[in-house]
Amino acid sequence: MHPFQYQRAENNGQAVAAVAKNPEAAFIAGGTSQVDLLKEGVHKPNLLVDVAGLPLRQITDFEGGVRIGANATNTEAAYFPAIQARYPAVSEALLAGASVQIRNMATMAGNPLQRTRCPYFRDPDQPCNKRTPGSGCAAIGGYNHVHALFGASEACVATHPSDLAVALAALDARVQTTGPQGSRTIAFTDLHRLPGTTPHLDTTLAHGELITSIDLPAFAGRSHYLKVRERASYAYALASCAVALEMDGPKIKRARIALGGVAHKPWRTPAAEALLAGQRPTEKLFQATAAAAFADAKPLEHNAYKIPMGRNLLVRALLETSGLQPLAGPAGTAFAASVGGMAGQVATPN
Amino acid sequence: MTPQPVPALQTGDVAPNGALPDGTPLLALRGRPVILAFAPSTWNPAQAYQSEIFARLLREFGDDALTNAAPEFWHALDCRGELAAQLGAAGQRALLLLDEEGILRWKTIVEPGQELRAGQVLAALEALRPAPTTPPNTTAAVDTEAATGGMSRRTFVLATLAAAALLALPSVVTAAPADISARPIPTENRAAMLPIELNINGEKHRLELDPRTALLDALRGNLHLTGTKKGCDHGQCGACTVHLDGHSALSCLTLAVMAQGKAITTIEGLAKGDTLHPMQAAFIKHDAFQCGYCTPGQIMSATALLADPHTRHGSAVEIREAMSGNLCRCAAYPNIIAAIEEAQRA
Ligand SMILES: Cc1cc2nc3c(=O)[nH]c(=O)nc-3n(C[C@H](O)[C@H](O)[C@H](O)COP(=O)(O)OP(=O)(O)OC[C@H]3O[C@@H](n4cnc5c(N)ncnc54)[C@H](O)[C@@H]3O)c2cc1C
Ligand code: SF4
Ligand code: FES
Ligand code: FES
Repeated sequence: MHPFQYQRAENNGQAVAAVAKNPEAAFIAGGTSQVDLLKEGVHKPNLLVDVAGLPLRQITDFEGGVRIGANATNTEAAYFPAIQARYPAVSEALLAGASVQIRNMATMAGNPLQRTRCPYFRDPDQPCNKRTPGSGCAAIGGYNHVHALFGASEACVATHPSDLAVALAALDARVQTTGPQGSRTIAFTDLHRLPGTTPHLDTTLAHGELITSIDLPAFAGRSHYLKVRERASYAYALASCAVALEMDGPKIKRARIALGGVAHKPWRTPAAEALLAGQRPTEKLFQATAAAAFADAKPLEHNAYKIPMGRNLLVRALLETSGLQPLAGPAGTAFAASVGGMAGQVATPN
Repeated sequence: MTPQPVPALQTGDVAPNGALPDGTPLLALRGRPVILAFAPSTWNPAQAYQSEIFARLLREFGDDALTNAAPEFWHALDCRGELAAQLGAAGQRALLLLDEEGILRWKTIVEPGQELRAGQVLAALEALRPAPTTPPNTTAAVDTEAATGGMSRRTFVLATLAAAALLALPSVVTAAPADISARPIPTENRAAMLPIELNINGEKHRLELDPRTALLDALRGNLHLTGTKKGCDHGQCGACTVHLDGHSALSCLTLAVMAQGKAITTIEGLAKGDTLHPMQAAFIKHDAFQCGYCTPGQIMSATALLADPHTRHGSAVEIREAMSGNLCRCAAYPNIIAAIEEAQRA
């Protein structure tokens, strides 16, 4: 591990200043992504600024929605009553991710900022443009079964691994930050970038820009998150999706869909969403929606399986969100979010 | 707020004053040599034996020709105490020799995974020998003797005794570096050391650590609390699970410096004296392990699960989900769940 100095941030301003003035400095919060990458020799900061002690842990009502402090843990947010009841997709995404121990440590700002699980990125002996710009991409000619279907470039085909980010993208969450240039609000869908020619940049945050909260806007519809993985629990998604539906009587007024595990950022599907507006929910409609959502998919050598898997997953998520099919477990829990495994083994309440 | 590094005491430096556990200031011991032996109060029996042998050797041979020391010149000191921090021995198994003037003459650190060796014991005893003219310079003295082959009879007797005593302990003689990954980072590669205070199982421990040290390595390597296991070292297995402020957490992904100010509970902190925690008893009753390597982590997750209102009343399926962060290579899963269900009913 590269040697680093450690500093506990005294306040937001001091944290931002300490990182902004040192190009080799980085924030650390729960540490579950950062410490892992330090150990792998992928991240080599010379200064870690610990923001976990900053008073950014409150979850509060905010403009009819919910404001989640950057330092609230994944566990605290997942079980927060207003989130579990009104934004079950968020709780489902959180509780179907990682393990209890990791969720107890992981923060709400750190989670969407975790880095890709592309195995070549994590192995400093492999070429990887994201880790070492200009070194090439070992995944393109390598084993790319966990890689992207959408928005990839010739420089990088990695996917974003966060479950939470997919739910936040579907709900049009907003990110509050304070940085060297002052404070701003970023639409969650603009937080992550596509790889293009600069895959080493995951997000649009400036160096030293600190997330202070994640805000869920007022929302009166139904939301749901669904995830397929290689084992029943404690695994990243191969493919996932989050759905937010607002109804007008028996018809869908507005639908939002974000796909996970298929792109460098949570992948919104405006064309598919448009097919749903003003329609009555039916399985046939959802099949057409899923076909539209994956119409532009560009598979690599080993990941074409994600196209039918993702389509079927989206159809099921739409059926479950609209109530045409029951959830596999209580809303707002890991059992509702999971396909296979232990899902379906717990009785759905009512 | 950021802690400042403590410079380590060098040979030839006058030791700062500090208090022994009975309140005696170090200064009051001037005029005779003092050996300070620092150790964690909980260490494994083989190591406890070693310090016992060392104490006996000093008691028997340290009184006459070697030194003019008064009877109680040897002190077993908690390496997590104030004095250890002042003398730069925080968290280490260390032997320090101060001469009559309170100058550090000799110091040895017993590296994690290593045992105190006969040579180190001997060197400490040799260092106590009052030099005829010049103040003792231990390494030189020992080296010269070795070089000339001129081992005094006294030295020879001591060496034989020390070696014999150590040989009598198989675990000591075969002591190999037990936990390679917990070995200290080579000095040339070190970042500035930080004084760190950890609250573990209700006790305060002071250490001086490289900021890169994971809590797991501090527990195992520095504090010899080896109940917490290292499986993957990357957050993927749960073997290293501890409680931080009552919640389960992975000590391999926690920097020790970031665990300051939190109540840390390890598997060593669950039993009350000889009475096992009900979860430990349930694991034994249900045969909830084979090799046992994952067990401390399983038990720490299980006890946190039952303390948490969100999971406390979970069904067997919910327990399985909540325990998914703890892998068991021996696949003792059904027995683990049975043990937790029993503890849940109790
Ligand atoms: C074995 C394992 C399995 C996992 N499985 C899953 C899974 O299934 N699904 C899933 O979604 N995730 C999973 N994770 C990832 C986990 O959720 C993330 O590591 C965690 O959420 C990161 O949060 P943190 O607070 O620990 O971040 P840290 O590791 O502390 O930081 C992550 C990044 O965020 C930056 N950062 C932190 N706070 C701020 C802030 N306030 N402002 C700006 N930048 C900040 C840091 O500089 C760093 O770059 C898994 C992790 C492990 C180790
Ligand atoms: S896909 Fe991206 S992260 Fe993976 S090796 Fe290629 S450049 Fe690196
Ligand atoms: S050693 Fe920490 S999770 Fe495996
Ligand atoms: S008992 Fe052997 S790994 Fe669990």
